[in-house]
Formats: sequence, structure tokens, C-alpha cells
Amino acid sequence: MLDKIMKSKLFGWVDERTGAEAIIKSQLTEYEVPKNLNYMWNFGSLALLVLVLQILTGIFLAMYYKPSAALTMGGYTVAFDSVERIMRDVNFGWLIRYMHAVGASAFFVVVYMHIGRGLYYGSYKGPRELLWIIGVVILLIMQGAAFFGYLLPWGQMSFWGATVITNLFGALPVIGGFLQEVLRGGFAVGDPTLNRFFSLHYLFPLLLAAIVGGHVHALHVVHSNNPTGLDVHEGKSTIPFHPYYTIKDAFGVGVFLTLYCYVVFFNPQMGGYFIEVDNYVPANNLQTPPHIAPVWYLTPWYTILRSFESKLLGVVAMGASLAILFVLPFLDRSKVRSARYRPVYRQMVYLFFVTVIILGYCGHSAPTPTLKLVGQITTAYYFAFFLLLPFVHKFEKTKPLPEEI
Amino acid sequence: MSDTLDHTRRNFLYVAAGGMGAVAAGATIVPFIGSMLPAADTLAASKTEFDVSTVVDGQLVVIQWQGKPVFVVNRTAELLKQIDGHDEVLKDPNSEAIEEVSAAWITPENRKYRSIKQEYLIMVASCTHLGCIPLYKPSPGRKEWGDSVPEDWAGGWHCPCHGSLYDMSGRVMNGSPAPHNLHLMPYEYTSDTQVVIG
Repeated sequence: MLDKIMKSKLFGWVDERTGAEAIIKSQLTEYEVPKNLNYMWNFGSLALLVLVLQILTGIFLAMYYKPSAALTMGGYTVAFDSVERIMRDVNFGWLIRYMHAVGASAFFVVVYMHIGRGLYYGSYKGPRELLWIIGVVILLIMQGAAFFGYLLPWGQMSFWGATVITNLFGALPVIGGFLQEVLRGGFAVGDPTLNRFFSLHYLFPLLLAAIVGGHVHALHVVHSNNPTGLDVHEGKSTIPFHPYYTIKDAFGVGVFLTLYCYVVFFNPQMGGYFIEVDNYVPANNLQTPPHIAPVWYLTPWYTILRSFESKLLGVVAMGASLAILFVLPFLDRSKVRSARYRPVYRQMVYLFFVTVIILGYCGHSAPTPTLKLVGQITTAYYFAFFLLLPFVHKFEKTKPLPEEI
Repeated sequence: MSDTLDHTRRNFLYVAAGGMGAVAAGATIVPFIGSMLPAADTLAASKTEFDVSTVVDGQLVVIQWQGKPVFVVNRTAELLKQIDGHDEVLKDPNSEAIEEVSAAWITPENRKYRSIKQEYLIMVASCTHLGCIPLYKPSPGRKEWGDSVPEDWAGGWHCPCHGSLYDMSGRVMNGSPAPHNLHLMPYEYTSDTQVVIG
């Protein structure tokens, strides 16, 4: 199909003016990929798909959404009512909004799988350090975009979540108060906050699209890692991306869309995990809901924040838990990449995955003394995982590596 | 001629031109960041008037000041008694941190009551941890509040978000994640019962 198009006269005309053929060859038909990639390698292309879906649905939602905290005749606010109007009156509005809300969670599911894959198979190790670091930047921007977006429906969770998070910035010494005012545009979260969050919620995906371009470019320079973590030799153990991996990614897209559509059509709120129940109560700045929790994808970091008695320490620990991802490639000194051949690291990374899930559970639940202790223990392991990495290779007996994949 | 090209002079001009360019580019940030700070009309809405006689004995009323919630409590003699006798479990019993917020009216006599008139406590209703509104749990002990408060609870506020505890004067207790007592603010009585906050 593609080669037929590339032989056409029209394509030749375009090629002479853009160099399209060279790009397609170097990035697709002659871009060499290890032949042994498993299904864990599907999540990168899925993340790209969800990003496109989010931008597309977001553009259409912005045609009807109104970022204003002004009160309406019904006693609610313009923003809250405009979301409800999208749900009830706008043609297919319910579908586009549910696609967007479910898409946010789907984005994090896919990206967390993608990051877990990188951790397990050592994809962050040289020469892919910068590829990993760009990925961490993408994660942070995603979390920012999700946080800004969550304020927009102007429900109780929107309002109080934004209050709590902007207060976090206030805890920083010296610049804290200033940062908080810049974020809020007033003395408390209010109409100016809603307006700027809408603006930033529109900006961040554009940044995301640009940086994702950089991520893919960096990948195409250093090429994909593979389950064995071995360096591959072109031709012998590689196959071209197109058609082999385009078809495998397409299969992954089919499976993903089946699950995504199931949630969008039959369970868009996912029992309060994707859209929190309290967010259907309009924002009230005089009443805090009895239990505030962020959406599931931010709860692990929320637990780390809550695990410290001192406000500043909690904020610093939460920042550090994300910042430490940047230096991961330099903490791990082992010469072997894949956890398949690293018995000690393999146990450590499995425990790390379990730890993050427990942290997430703790952050989603109302605080109790037991959960607090569990949160503190898992927080300790979260950091221990990274801080042990410089020493593991000293006593770890790695398994013999195969000659070739 | 070409052998005597003055490189230091040329480099100086490069650095000077580049430096000025960087300063100019940096200066353009000022209006953009400045635009994100509270606007003039937001700043103008910074005073609130309230009649405290509308708050009955033992009642708590939440009003708004600068968009922030503010507690006004009418403390009975009984509630005022609950303020004494637990200084050792408080982080800052004399409200010495952040003096400036109450500098306008605080005196040695009203320090532990944290109010101009003993019975009317007026303070910002945002937990100093992360800004949630604490729940009013005035009666001592666990009878009404269950295990959300400690056994020797003296009455006060309990923040539902991360469990910070404050006494009947809004003073934070040890073990709470909140770093400070609930914030006071400048205010004055313009008549016997009329208060201007801000």
C-alpha cells in the first residue's frame, strides 16, 4: 500500500519539495526495531493515540465550556452550568465529555504502564538517559494539565483540590507566597484562578505535543530497547518498523479502544475513580467536603505528602519523589539492563510496583492511623528503591546474558 | 592588518550585545507575570463588615473576607474555660509566630483568647496546612466526635483533610501537620457589635 503510494506521480512531486521519501524511509520502512519486542512495547503508541484523542475532544469541549465562577440564576455558577449543558443539551456533548474525562484516566493508565516497562527492562539506562528524562518532563506536564483540567467543572472536588495544591506552593520558603498569588490571581481560589487554569489547560497539551515530538525523535536516534536489554545488531536481530510494528501497534489500538469504549459508554465514572462523586456538587468556598482525595492517578504522591508531620517536609518529599526520576539513569550503575537477568533488581522493581499501588490506595482513602503508618512505610520504600540502586550492582550476581536476541 | 585583529574588543561587543538582549528578553517577563497577580478590583474588595451580635451563644458563623472563609464564634464562659490547661500540647500557645497578622490589636491580656473581645473569636477559617475548612467540634471528649479527636480532646476544631487539631482559640496542637495556629487578621470594632475586618 505505502510503496504504491510512494511510486505515484503526486508523491514524487511532494517528495521533490519536502524530502518526504527520505523521512518515511528513515522513520518507518527502514527504521530498524528489535524483533523481540513484547506487548509491553505497545503503550508508547497508545499514549500518542490518547494524547490525540484528548486534544481533539478538548477542542470541541472548549466550544461550549465557559470558564467563569459568576453565579447564575439557578444558584450555581456559569462554569458548572456550562458543563451540565454540555452533558444535557449539546448534541453528543455527553459523549465528548466522557471521552475526555475517561481519556484523562486512560492516558495515565497507559503512561504508567509505559514507565513501568521502562523501569523493568532498564530502558532508562545508557544511551537512553535523555530519552527517559524527556519522558519524565512529559509526565510532569501531564500531571499539570490534569490538575488544571480538574478545576474546570467547578465542583467541590475541583475547588478544594485546587485549594490544597495551590497551598502546597505556599509552603515553599521565600517564593511560596508569591507563587501562590501568581497561581490564584487573588487571595483564594476564585474566578481569576478558573480563567487562568483554563488558559493553562489549553496550553499544556500543546507543550506536550511538542515534547512528545522530541521524545520520539530521541527514541529514533538511540532506537528501542528490548526485553533482553541487549544491544542489537541491525539486520540480524531487527525488523523494519513498517509494516511489522505498525500492524502490532494497530492490534494494540484495537484492544485499547475496546476497553476505552466500554468505560466511556457503560461506566464513565468508574465508581467515582475517574469522575469523583463530590464533583457533581457545585463548588462552595465555605464548606470543605468531609474527605478530599485527588483523582486516582495523583494519589501515590498525595500519600507521600501526607506521610510527613511537617508541611514543608511533606511538600519537599512529594517534589523529591518526582524529581528523583530525573536522576534514575545515573543512580543505577549495573551494566545489565533488563530485570530478566538481574535477580535482585527484579525483586526490587516488583516491590516498587506494589508499593506505588499501595501508596495510591492510601491516598484515595480517608486518613486513619493504620493507613498513615502503611503510607509511611511505603513512602520509605519508594525512596529506598532509588537510593539503593547505586549499590545493588556491587553484590548482585547477574544471570548470564544470551549472545543475541 | 588581519594579524592584529582585536579579539578582546570583538568578544566584549558580543557579550555586551548578547547580555543586553538577555536583559531585555528577561524584562519582558515582568508584565506577563505581573498580569497574573491579583487585579486592582480583586485587591479593592479587601474589607468586610459584620455585626457580631447576630451570632448566638456557642454558635459558629462562617463569613467571607477577601474570598476567604472566616470563622466568627461566640464563646460562652464554658467554652472560654476549655482554653486553659493544655498549653503543653500546643505548638505555639502564645501565638508568637507570624506576629504581624494580629499586631493591630493583640495585647498580653487577650493573647490566649486571640481576640479583642474574649467571647468573639474571629479568625481565618483555612487550615494552615493546606487550606481546608476545619470542622467545629466544641464539646470536650470523644462523646460526640468518636475517634476523629484524641481521648483528652479539649474542644476546638478538627481538619477533615489531614487531621490537624486546634483548640477553642484556634491554636494548633502537637502532632498536627499544620505548622501554625489558625491565622488571625487585622480588625476593629467600629461600635459595640460592629466589626470591620481587613
